[in-house]
Amino acid sequence: MQDDTDTARATDSVYDRIERARASLTGPQIAIAVALVAALGFTLLFVQDPMLHDSLHNFRHSAGITCH
Amino acid sequence: MATDYLERGALAGVAGGLVYGLFVATVGNAFTAGLETFEHSHGGGGPVVSELTTTVASVGGGVLWGLLFGVAVFGMAYFFLEPAIPGSGATKRLALAGAGFLTVSGAPWLVLPPQPPGVEQALGTETRMAWYAGLMALGALVAVLAGLAYRRAEGRHTAVRLGATALPLVLLAVPVALAPANPVHGDVPAALVAAYRWTVVFGQLLLWTTIAGVHAWLGDSEARATDDLDYPTTAD
Repeated sequence: MQDDTDTARATDSVYDRIERARASLTGPQIAIAVALVAALGFTLLFVQDPMLHDSLHNFRHSAGITCH
Repeated sequence: MATDYLERGALAGVAGGLVYGLFVATVGNAFTAGLETFEHSHGGGGPVVSELTTTVASVGGGVLWGLLFGVAVFGMAYFFLEPAIPGSGATKRLALAGAGFLTVSGAPWLVLPPQPPGVEQALGTETRMAWYAGLMALGALVAVLAGLAYRRAEGRHTAVRLGATALPLVLLAVPVALAPANPVHGDVPAALVAAYRWTVVFGQLLLWTTIAGVHAWLGDSEARATDDLDYPTTAD
């Protein structure tokens, strides 16, 4: 489906947002942001190291995370 | 521009996280500790950290949990998906929060519901993690399909439109039917397990709605751009 470019610009689309991110952000910026989010998610969800795992025990049960 | 979104997402996430941290501090910690009284002693001895550490770290984990959702969902995903998410203002945020809840918790819990401490599950940790990840992907897919269905049904009667939007949820029945049996055994009474599970569900709903509400309250970029007119416009 080919959108008229003028209409697409006026209405704003997901594609425009990707273009905008590409224009305004650098590769390393995106890499750092994604890495931070991944690290945080991994720490809270999947780390099995006893020290960290037991520290977050109540949190995991409170949040319904069953990865242990 | 994009960093503006990231900043608002992080702010909303911290606000939600603080509320959720309070929930963990007041309800989560005590409830988990109470349920532990039903726990059989593991072969490998007790936890390797003190109870205080667990209490404090778990509250901190709750705050970070909110920050994670705020940054990933309301900072990053919202920037890209804003034009595609149905509704406007707070409705738009709640739609995204609903999609986030479905992805992170709702869909996976249909197969792997939250288990209180002291309940042993038959499926191994690795298997459960793989299933959890797969169900998260399915939850995200269902949320996207629901959004697309909402768009396709534009102009129809409201009831028809809502029905079409809810239709992709049927897909969630597939993994429920296919999932391997995961018998559990433990001494926690069934009614208490139910209370625990719903506490967890409402806790997550509280977190998502708080993030969505604060994010809506922080406003749109356009509105902020006009508000910030007294700053020199040297951004780009």
